[in-house]
Amino acid sequence: MIKHFNKDLNSDYFNEIYDFKGQWDVPSRCALKIVRNNTQTVVIATELYAENPGTSVTNFCAPLATLICNDFNIDHEKMVFIVHTPDTKSKLSFMNENFFHVEFTWDGAKFMDPKWAQIDRSKVDELIGITQKQ
Amino acid sequence: MKFKLIYPKWEKLEGQTIFNLPPHGPVVMAAALPADVDIEFVDENVDILTFDDDADFIGISMMLTGQIKRGWQIATEYRKREKKVIFGGISTMLHAEETMEYADSIFLGEVEGRLDKVFEDFKNNKLQKVYNYLASHPDINSIGPARRSILNKEKYYHKGVRMVDLFHASRGCKYNCYPCAVAYLGGKCFRPRPIDRVVEELATIDNNRLFIVDNSLAQDKQWELDLFREMIPFKKNWCSHPIEDDDEVLDLAAQAGAWFVYQAVFDTSDYIRDRVKRYHDHGIAVEGTILLGTDDHTEDDIKRLIDFLLEINLDLAEFTVLTPFPHTKAYDDLLRQNRIIDKDWNNFNAGKVVIQPKHMTPERLQELYHYAWDTFYKDETQSEKMFKLFRTVIMKEIANGTYKPIREEMANNSFGKQVRR
Repeated sequence: MIKHFNKDLNSDYFNEIYDFKGQWDVPSRCALKIVRNNTQTVVIATELYAENPGTSVTNFCAPLATLICNDFNIDHEKMVFIVHTPDTKSKLSFMNENFFHVEFTWDGAKFMDPKWAQIDRSKVDELIGITQKQ
Repeated sequence: MKFKLIYPKWEKLEGQTIFNLPPHGPVVMAAALPADVDIEFVDENVDILTFDDDADFIGISMMLTGQIKRGWQIATEYRKREKKVIFGGISTMLHAEETMEYADSIFLGEVEGRLDKVFEDFKNNKLQKVYNYLASHPDINSIGPARRSILNKEKYYHKGVRMVDLFHASRGCKYNCYPCAVAYLGGKCFRPRPIDRVVEELATIDNNRLFIVDNSLAQDKQWELDLFREMIPFKKNWCSHPIEDDDEVLDLAAQAGAWFVYQAVFDTSDYIRDRVKRYHDHGIAVEGTILLGTDDHTEDDIKRLIDFLLEINLDLAEFTVLTPFPHTKAYDDLLRQNRIIDKDWNNFNAGKVVIQPKHMTPERLQELYHYAWDTFYKDETQSEKMFKLFRTVIMKEIANGTYKPIREEMANNSFGKQVRR
């Protein structure tokens, strides 16, 4: 299904493809991993670049987080939202893998005003319970 | 019904030679208008715009981010006069939400087969706020010749030399390049026009020199071969974005009139050196397009890159600074990192630094941008290099019998204005 990334996308950080209507209702797509525990629900939304026909995760961050909350019955107060930009195997450094934790404000019905903070992969692994490989 | 279509002016880059090319978006749009619409076209880069006129409906076509604030001003003036204003074009799509504030209507997407509905709604006073066709592209077979008759052709001459006409053979792009929004605008799937429709359009163009504006021709080898084979009898000379790096394709491209290509030069690798050499081996000149200020660029990298450009004998070079246009990966990355330091869209002209670079200050990147232009053109000015390129096309035209002498009576005229020769 994810033709371009089927060999390259790190399966630690996605377990399904999520189709959504992006900006101006354009059909759009990201990869998704949702990890729930008692205190929080970690959502990792991965940019699919060429495999996404529409709006990017970053460009649609707050509406997308709201959609995911509603579609997966996630308590908005417990959601930890991570944007994952995967490694595209380019020699250009700005195409490397990165993770960003996103903070939003909640207006009573939807998320607004995304603010991104880059985090290390080890922090993501800790959040989703992946044991560091030696 | 009288429809006035306006192409707003924009501030040209400091120190650069000004060439006003006949715009492409408006002529494509005009071709899709209902038959009963009379169109008046004003390109504000070469024409004077007046607001008090008898137009029924105003259209504003915008290609560049640098046009949008002027487009909004124009709309405001017309709306004060109680005229309805609709926006369309590439930068309307990139800046749609902001543009809605200044518009009675915005059109998103490609126009073929869609304008009858818009004009019918206008006549019935039911104009919609948004016509959104972003998710549905028209049948590529439905794209006919652009309507270049709306252009005031006399205005697109510089000292007697006619500018190239713009032309497109495909839409969409399968590549997803870091600073480019075309995949968002035209879709991430390459949509070549059928060759017979391309040929039909070529036959309508009376200009010997063209700019094929497609994002990259190097997306479907067989289509490229077919295209170039069919173009040979037209004896046009043209520039374009990259052509497939393949001897058979390059050979046919040269026969079809490939004059020069815009080729991105992003590093000092043998790949780039060989790519440029192969174009040259086929008699195709190369204008390098060089983006400065990516996260891979230190000051030393930029200086080394400029030395490399001189080594590989680029025919021309065009330097820009990384500019995060909306709906690009560059925009997303820099937005997340809070590194977009200037939000004035007039400054998004690729010559002014609007980001915080990773390895230097914005001011230093701005200095290096000027250093790049100055250094590359130190021994031979941009005008001299352009003249050499111009001479090659004249030689080709003389050889194939299509040369038209410059218009002497316009020797003191540049884009409709008097100048010294």
